[in-house]
Order: sequence, then structure tokens, then C-alpha cells
Amino acid sequence: MSARTASKEIFRVFWRLGWRAKRTRVFALLCLVPTAVLTAIKIVEVANPHFGTTAFDVFLRTMMAFYFQLFVPILAIFFGSSVINEELDNKTLVYLTTTPVPKIAIFLGKFMAHWLLCAVIIGGSLGLSFIIANFSALGTAAAWLDLAGYVGISWLALWSYCALFALLGTFMRKSILLGLFFAFGWEAVVQYFPGSTQKFTLIHYIKSLLPIQPADGGFLVFRLEPSSVAESLLMLLFIGALALVAAALIFKRKEYIISDSV
Amino acid sequence: MGDGVPVLQAEKLSKWYGNILGISDVSLEISGGIQGLLGPNGAGKSTFLKLASGQLKPSLGRLRIFGEEVFANPRLFARIGFCPEYDSFYAEMSGRQFIAFLAKLHGFSGAALQEKVAVSLQTVGLEERQESLIKTYSFGMRQRLRLAASILHEPELLMLDEPLRGVDPLWRIRIIKLIKDMARSGRTVIVSSHILPEIEAMTSDIILIHQGKIFAEGDIHYIRGLIDGHPHQIYIKCAAPRQLAEKMIGQEYVSGVVVDAAGGVTVSTSQRDRFYEALLHTIVERSLEVEEITSPDDNLQAIFDYLIGR
Repeated sequence: MSARTASKEIFRVFWRLGWRAKRTRVFALLCLVPTAVLTAIKIVEVANPHFGTTAFDVFLRTMMAFYFQLFVPILAIFFGSSVINEELDNKTLVYLTTTPVPKIAIFLGKFMAHWLLCAVIIGGSLGLSFIIANFSALGTAAAWLDLAGYVGISWLALWSYCALFALLGTFMRKSILLGLFFAFGWEAVVQYFPGSTQKFTLIHYIKSLLPIQPADGGFLVFRLEPSSVAESLLMLLFIGALALVAAALIFKRKEYIISDSV
Repeated sequence: MGDGVPVLQAEKLSKWYGNILGISDVSLEISGGIQGLLGPNGAGKSTFLKLASGQLKPSLGRLRIFGEEVFANPRLFARIGFCPEYDSFYAEMSGRQFIAFLAKLHGFSGAALQEKVAVSLQTVGLEERQESLIKTYSFGMRQRLRLAASILHEPELLMLDEPLRGVDPLWRIRIIKLIKDMARSGRTVIVSSHILPEIEAMTSDIILIHQGKIFAEGDIHYIRGLIDGHPHQIYIKCAAPRQLAEKMIGQEYVSGVVVDAAGGVTVSTSQRDRFYEALLHTIVERSLEVEEITSPDDNLQAIFDYLIGR
């Protein structure tokens, strides 16, 4: 069996197992909370045309913060770091590594399954929120392009975060703690530093891609000195790919001591 | 192997977990048949099998299987089957899905895949429960499923870590037969256990492992001889301990008798079978009410301690 075919099979199995997991269902429900809130606001907006704000305005000003600064990193932490850690915690790694499949193929297959699970959960909720909030403008091509842009950026953000946390998971048993510190400590603070320091965060590049600029004065863009779209895209792709290659190579060479009995 | 290369060859193999010794300076060759790896819990059996199955990297020395290094060499696993000791599974899969998944990773597809899955599940008697989720299986069924996973690709070398743990007596006999059949068909089987009779039922070739070192290897009868000379201690708690002690003192197969205040008698004997026969006779003859009969040192650890002269 070629490494590619094996990787595809591993992807298929973990994609299916992923949906059966309680964790996935909980996160999927959690990500639908903003959608429910927007639906309520939209109903009020339609019922009362003189309501102070619109659902789409709420979507732009607050929901983006929920999706890109809360849901994306949280899902990436749990799904990314569990690519390997879950196998160690459940002591199931041995079944995969005692087959004639290269370890890199095992890692990539499972990573892609976890990334796609996150992408469907976040993309689905984000897309639904957008459609509800911007329902009256859906007749225009621009609205659909905006929608594709938001969902695409969320997938790219998940790609880089998931890869980074998968890397942590290949060499740390308690990588979730470090992941939380990175996402809600380092990223949360350093993104507001002036000058080029904020470029040492992933959220800087994500925010640079979002159609909200400093002049808007929104929650997300406090002191943002955005990078160009091309640089942001390349950096997110590059960081994700680099983390993934490093994780795959570490997984290939590292021994994992599973049992406590010797 | 026909080309003279041992199936498994360890040269001065050592493994430490930080400061904790796993195994030390192990050198051995295994070529064909069933090899029993016997030792008390924590002796290093599982460490050796984890090294042999490529899960661990040697700290020192070399380990080769079919002439190739094992660690980070996935190609070898087309020829190796490994049944781990852990009771771990993808609980949301059915038994069939689990075996089919592993069969696909071994490169089987189509009719061959269906056949391999069916045969391996049938071999371990799980064909009727194959569609049930693994989390609904009993411990013994999960143990058999692990065995099915290790044999599905008909490996040339099969390594089984405590394969009879938790298996009911009927399946114990069937698994022993299966292991013997595999050896008869020209495969090499390495089985670990901390229970001597389990290993004895499968093979006479054993490796005694203790505190991370190979303590003895060879024919089981030699080891049996050593073990039979081990003075066992048997504790009997009964209503009339002095009466029992009186009967035992002076018997040629009894080397010591101690009566304690709690109504117990501790007898030392190097002829366990004769002692038990006589004990049974005494109990019946004198109508003794016996609360408890235990053998505090009737375990492999005690035997090893005796053999190494502690």
C-alpha cells in the first residue's frame, strides 16, 4: 500500500471517528451560539426597522472576534494537539505504528481529518451566521464573495493554528496548556504591540486579511498595523506548512513511551 | 529464516527510562518455533517486546529482526505481528471496522481484505459480535480482538505480550492451540507471561527475564527442576492449628512449621505436591475446619528471588 493510499484511509477513518466523538458535537454546538444570537437580532431587526443596529453590523463588529479569536484557536488547540496526544492517552498508537505505513503518512492523514473537522464546524457556523446577518444582500455577487472570503480566512487560520498545535502535541504530553497560553496569552497581548512585534503572532496575519481596517476602530483592530494580503496569506500558509513538516519529522523519529509498566 | 539470519537478534541491548532500568545488556537470538519470555511483573518483558516492535528506541546496543533494524522501519511490519498488553481500542469502532482498518493499512483490498477480516475474526471467535462496538466487548473479547489484529496479515514473526490475560479457560486452550499451529506452520512466535504454567503449555523454550536482565534461557525442564527445589511456604488458618502442626512436624517433605497466635500454621516444604496430598488427607482424617490456605510465595517473583539466591 502506498503512503498516499494509507494516508487517505487513515484520514477516512479519523474523519468518521471524529464525528462520533462527544468533543466534536460539543464544539459544533458551541460554535452555533453566535449563529443563534444573530438569528435573534435579525428577527428583532426585521420586526423593528428602527432598531439601533443591524445583524450584519453585529456580525462584523463582534462575531468576528468570537470566531477568529476564540473558536478558531480553541478548536485548533483541542483538535490539533490531539492528533498525536489522543493516541498516546488512549494507548492506541501501537496499532498504527505496527503496520507497514510510514509514520509521516499516519500523521498527515490524521491531521487532515482533524483540520477538516474544524473547518466544517467553523466554516459552517460562520457561513450560516453571515447568511442570516446579511440575508437581504444575498442577491449580490459581492455578498457571496465576502462569504467565501470569511470562510476561506477561517480555514487558513485553522490550518496554521492546527499545524502549530499538532507540532506541540508531537513532543509534549500536556500541550493543551501551552496552546492555551500561546493563543490567549501571547497572541492576545503581542498583537497589540506597535511596530513589527505584532508580526510574531498568527492573529496579526489573520486580522490583516479581514475586511476591517484600523479606521473602523473595531474591537479586533486596536493598533493593528496590517501586513499586505499577499504577505499575510503566504505567512499563514508557510507557518502552517513549516509546523506540519516539523511535526511529521518529529513524529517519525521520536519514541513514545506509552505504558507505565516496564 | 532459510538464509541463516536469525529472526530476531539482540546485541547488548539496553533500555532506560530516564534513571529507571528497562532492560540491560540483553543479547539473544531467536530463530523459529515458540519462545516463551517469562518473568515477574516489571521484569522487562514488555520493554523487550516494545523494542522488538519498534515502539521504543534502544538506549544502547542493537536489535535486528530479519537482519534489519526495527525502529523507524515500517516496511518490516508487513512481516511482524504484535499484540500489545494494553487494553486499548478505538472504542467507537466495531470489531469488524477495527480489523478491516488495520487490514487496509497492511495493504489488503477487495476480496482479499474481506477474507482476511473474516478469517481473523473467526479464528478468535468474534464473528458473531463483529458488528458490535468494541466498547461493548468484555475484557476477554477485547483481548481476542487484539490477537486477531496481530495475526490478520499472517506474519512471519508474531509477538504476543501476555496474550492469555483475561481470557476464559476455553479460549485459553484455543489460543494456545492457535499459537502452536502458527509455530508448526513455520512462523516464529514470542510469547510473554508472568505465569509459568501458561508458558509451559505452549513451549519448552523459555527465556527467564528478571530485573531487566536475561537470567536463564533454555529448556523449561531445567528451569522446572530449579523451581521445584524452591522451598514453598504454605499458610493454613484453621480451628486447630496445633493439631495440624503436630501432624506435619517430622514429615520428610516438611522443612519447617511455625504456629502463630492468630490460629495460622506456616509450613515450609520443597515437595509441594506431596505436602498438599498429605494436608488434604489430614483435614479429612481429623475433620479440621480450615478457613484459609494460601501460599505467600507462590509467585514468580518469589521463585526468582530464590533462584538468584536472595
